[in-house]
Amino acid sequence: MKAGKTASLTLLVILVALALVTEALATWVEPLRSAEPWKRIALGAGILAALYAIVLVPLGMAIDRALVSLRGCIEGAAATEQSFSFGAPRWLRPVMRSLSGAVDQFRQREQALRTQLRDIEIRHRVSEAERRQIEAVLHTLRDAVIVTDSFNEVVMANDAAAEALGFDLSAALHKPIDQVISDRKLRQMILDARDSANFNDCRHVEHELCTANEGGDASAIAGRVGSEARSGRFYDVALACIGNHKGEVSGVVTILRDLTRERELSQMKTDFVSKASHELRTPLSSIRAYVEMLVDGEAQDEKSRQEFYRIMHDETERLGRLIDNMLNISRIEAGIVQIDRENVDIKVLAERAINTLEPQAREKSITLHTKLADIALTVEGDADMLYQVLLNLISNSIKYTPEGGRVTISADSDNLTRSVLVSVSDTGLGIPPDSIPKLFDKFYRVENYKRVAKGTGLGLSLCKHIVETVHQGQIGVESKLGMGSRFWFAIPMRYAGSNCTTGVAA
Amino acid sequence: MMAECSRRVLVIDDEAHIVQVLSLKLRNAGYEVLTASDGEEGYEIARKSIPDLIITDFQMPYMTGLELCQALAKETATANIPILMLTARGYALDDEDIALGNIRDVLSKPFSPRSIVQLVEQTLGSSGTPREKAA
Repeated sequence: MKAGKTASLTLLVILVALALVTEALATWVEPLRSAEPWKRIALGAGILAALYAIVLVPLGMAIDRALVSLRGCIEGAAATEQSFSFGAPRWLRPVMRSLSGAVDQFRQREQALRTQLRDIEIRHRVSEAERRQIEAVLHTLRDAVIVTDSFNEVVMANDAAAEALGFDLSAALHKPIDQVISDRKLRQMILDARDSANFNDCRHVEHELCTANEGGDASAIAGRVGSEARSGRFYDVALACIGNHKGEVSGVVTILRDLTRERELSQMKTDFVSKASHELRTPLSSIRAYVEMLVDGEAQDEKSRQEFYRIMHDETERLGRLIDNMLNISRIEAGIVQIDRENVDIKVLAERAINTLEPQAREKSITLHTKLADIALTVEGDADMLYQVLLNLISNSIKYTPEGGRVTISADSDNLTRSVLVSVSDTGLGIPPDSIPKLFDKFYRVENYKRVAKGTGLGLSLCKHIVETVHQGQIGVESKLGMGSRFWFAIPMRYAGSNCTTGVAA
Repeated sequence: MMAECSRRVLVIDDEAHIVQVLSLKLRNAGYEVLTASDGEEGYEIARKSIPDLIITDFQMPYMTGLELCQALAKETATANIPILMLTARGYALDDEDIALGNIRDVLSKPFSPRSIVQLVEQTLGSSGTPREKAA
C-alpha cells in the first residue's frame, strides 16, 4: 500500500514538475508560446531528463560511495574495537558520531549483560555444587529423609527413606505423599507439621511403622509407587518446617531414625539383668534360709547342722562362681580383660584338666579316655583362660553322662586350617536339637537337664567368648539325643596381631 | 504350735535345697509335708492327695508355677487349694496372671522360712481347708 502511494505521489510530483517546467518555458521562450502543447511537454521532459542526468546521477553515486565507506567503517568497527568515525567522509562525521555514541552504549550494555551472565553462571555452578553436597549428605545418611513441599509432594528423599518406607525413589519425586507413604499416621504427622508452621523447633515423635494393610487406607494403596514398607520397626520421627522469604511454610523435612536395634539392645540388657538377678537369688535364698534355720535351732542334731553348713558352703561357692563367670564374660565383651599371651601347649593344659577332674569322674565310675597327639600342640594364647575352657567342657561331659559312661578327650593339630583342634565327646544324655542354637547363650540351660546337674548357665557362654573373642578360634557342638555329645574347639596356631594384650571388643 | 489335725502342705521347687529347708521347717511346725521337684510332678501329687495348701516356685521345668496354679484352678477338687508362690523374679507376675489361679500371696526369693510358716498358719487359719469342707 505504502509503496503504491509513494509511487503515485512520485508520479504526481513528476507531472507537476513537468507542468511547471513546460509553463515556464512557454513564458520565457517566445517561439514556444505558440507551439503545439505536445512539443512543449516533450521539451519539458527533455529538460527534466537532462537535469536528472547532470545533478541527480552524480549525487546518487556520491551517496552510494558514502554508504559503502560507511558500511566499511561499521564492519571494521564491528570486527575491531576501534572508534567509529575513523575513515568516514567528512560530511558523514556528525552522523557517524551519534551512531558511534549509540554503539558505545550498546557495547557498554552488552558488557554489563556479559558480567551478569558470568555472575549467574558462577552462582549456578555454586548452587549445583551445593545441591550435590546436599545429595551426597542425604544419601550417606542412614536415617530416612523425606522433604515435601507446600503441596505435600515429595521434592527430595534418600535411599534410606525409600528402603524404610518401601517406595521407588525415582518414581516418588513430585508425587503426592498419599502415593508414596502408606503409613497413614506418618502422613498425618507431615500434614500437621506443615499446618503448625512452627519454625522454631523440630518435633520428635516415636512411631512404629505399619504397612498399608495395618494402618494405611485404601486410597493410599491405589497408585502407590513401590513395594511394602518395613513394618514393625520403631522410629524416632523428627519433623521441621521449611520457610520461604515471606515467612510462609514452603515445605516439611521429615527424618526417621531407626530405634529398633537400640530397643533390642536395651531389651537384651534388661533380660540379662533379670536373668542374672534370678540366678543370683537362687543360691542366696538357700543360704538365707539355712542361716535362719540354724538361728532358730531347727536343726535337731549335729549331723543335720553339719549338713546345713555344707549346703551353705556349697551355695556360697556357687554364688561366687556365678559372679566370677558373669564378670569374666562382661569383661571380655567390653574388651577390658587383661590377656597374657604366651606359647601354650594345649596338651599340657588338657592333661592338667583331666587330673583335676579325675576324682569327679571316678565318683560316677566314668572313664576318662585321652587321645592326644604325640607332638606338642602349641598355640599363642592365655593359658588360664584356655585351661578354663577345657575344665568347663570336660566337667560338663562328666555331669551329663550317666554312671559307668565314658568321656573322650582328644587333641590334634589340623594342618589344613593351621589350628589345634580339641574335642570332648561323651556317652551322655545328648542335647535336644532345638536347644543346640541357644546352648552358648548366657544363662541358657536345657530345661529338662536342670535337675541332672547344677550349673550357672554361663560356662559355655564363657567358653565361646574365650575361644572366639579372645583367641579368634571356633567352638561348636554335635549331639544326638540319648547317644552323647561332642564339643569341640579350634585355636589358630598363630594369628595376626599377636602382640596386642587386650581382648577384642565383642 | 502343733496343729490339731495334721495339715498337709505340698512344697514344689526344682531347687532341692529349698524343698529340703521348707519341708524341715514345716514338719517342725507340725505339718505333714509332700514334695515335688517340678510343676508336672506337683500337679499329679496335688490331684491325688488334695493338700490343704501348696507352696510352689514360679520358674520350674515342664510346667511353671503359674501354669500349675491355672491347671489346678480348672478342676473342682483342687480349685480351692490356697497357693503361695515363691519367685526369684517378682515382676514377671501380672495381677491378671495371679487372678487366674487361687494364689494367696507371692513371696520373692530370698525368703525367710519363719515368715513362710507364719503365712501358712495365717492362710490356713483364715480359710476352711478343702478337706474340712469335704468332711
